Amino acid sequence: MDARTTRRLLPALGLLVAGMTLGGCASMGVKPWERDILARPGMTPGDDVITSSLDEHIYFSKEASTGGLGSGGGGCGCN
Amino acid sequence: MAAIERKPGGLRLALAAACGALGVAGAPAHATEVSTGALAYAEPGRVKAFELMADGTHEFTNGNLGTFRLVFDALTGASANGAAPSRNAQTFTSPSGSSGYTAEPGETPLDTTFKDTRFAGSGGLTIPWGRLTKATVGVYGSFESDYTSLGVNGALSRDFFQRNTTITLRGSHFADSVSPMGGAPVPFSAMAAPVPGEHDDKAALEDDGGGGSESKGVTDLGVGLTQVLTRRTLLALNYTGTNVTGYQTDPYKILSVVNGTTGDPAPGTGTPELFLYENRPDKRSKHAAAAELIQNLGRDIMTLSYRWYEDDWGIKSRTTEVSYRLNFQPTRYVQPNLRWYHQGAADFYRRYLVQGAALPDFASADYRLGEMDAVSLGLKYGTKLKGGNDLTLRLEYYKQTGNHAPSDAIGSLRDLDLYPTVDAIIANVGLTFGKQ
Repeated sequence: MDARTTRRLLPALGLLVAGMTLGGCASMGVKPWERDILARPGMTPGDDVITSSLDEHIYFSKEASTGGLGSGGGGCGCN
Repeated sequence: MAAIERKPGGLRLALAAACGALGVAGAPAHATEVSTGALAYAEPGRVKAFELMADGTHEFTNGNLGTFRLVFDALTGASANGAAPSRNAQTFTSPSGSSGYTAEPGETPLDTTFKDTRFAGSGGLTIPWGRLTKATVGVYGSFESDYTSLGVNGALSRDFFQRNTTITLRGSHFADSVSPMGGAPVPFSAMAAPVPGEHDDKAALEDDGGGGSESKGVTDLGVGLTQVLTRRTLLALNYTGTNVTGYQTDPYKILSVVNGTTGDPAPGTGTPELFLYENRPDKRSKHAAAAELIQNLGRDIMTLSYRWYEDDWGIKSRTTEVSYRLNFQPTRYVQPNLRWYHQGAADFYRRYLVQGAALPDFASADYRLGEMDAVSLGLKYGTKLKGGNDLTLRLEYYKQTGNHAPSDAIGSLRDLDLYPTVDAIIANVGLTFGKQ
């Protein structure tokens, strides 16, 4: 399969994966009264906003990749 | 955040006043959390940075959530200017054009005049829309002497399946303005010799061919899925697509032009060495996908994350991170973390240009666009203070390595370090008030 065909199929593949993922999500998880452990400190993505923001700024300044878990962002002319 | 009425402290009152100034007054203070942090960053012999940050959220009785963030940072020290080292001493012109600096034989050329301060602020408002949907809007501004960024952002998130699944759509746009000291240089123009006094006037340099100010637009679109897998396991998946248009060249970075046989610097017109200002494409399309798994192990918590990144400049990177939160007491923990990063070079990355060879369309010797590996190793300590505030202390070591001896290096450059290792020590302290 050439690169052009792959690019055309990617959105359809993405929708299919998203649909399957959401279908799978319905059968996962916990009841509302079982959230005690999930509510503990450290169990939320990006829990420590200060540390993760400072890290993000450093990596934004020193490396060529951005985005993913944080913002893709513009924001500074970092050296 | 739990909705508990508390006696408002000074900080809380100040935040409530700030929220009032933002036009969201009318609802009494309900619950406020403010996190503050200070960071010291040092690369021995190179850049030093100091950063202060305050981040707050304020929940109103009507369920709206106001957020703000203030950042100040100061940078000083020396930054690699992109030129290749040489077996002879080399002289360079500072960005102002009025003075020069020297790199000793074999030394990586560093711009020692680098100095900047930045103020940034952002604010946002999250509004519940029904029981399961939330909409967020925000604004952002960042100000440096030679760089301004203004942005708006928005997000829409909805919970599904008894709140076990959350899907978030988000977007942002930044309008950046670059006003380099001495004006934006013409791409691939030669670095002129210093002219004491004359080029202190920015307008005069622009008359000499400098391009003045430039602009750049950055648009992000993202989608995120957070899924509760079990009572102890949470998975977050995110994708961000970024489109950047406009000026993306670093106005302070140059490339050496070397003799194709000896590897020594080629002479310029009126300068002992020829250095050309770099040139990058004015369009960039980035794609980043990331997964984060948080696993409770009884007492402790382990977090694993992986990020895949590619862009149309030819840069591909993979990032893997693992942290382990060891809750050795109910209110105290230590958290080691390890991060691996690998990046392939941009298509137009060149360590130097060869005299007499045709100029490429684009070229940059910025080490941040080269092939590299980076490792971070950190340790964080967290404790709850009397009064319920949270304190964190963290120390981290960051090391960046690249190909310091490329096999195709020319002549004398084979004996020189063409990609020196960058080491950095990072220390930060964080204090959170009012956490529920």
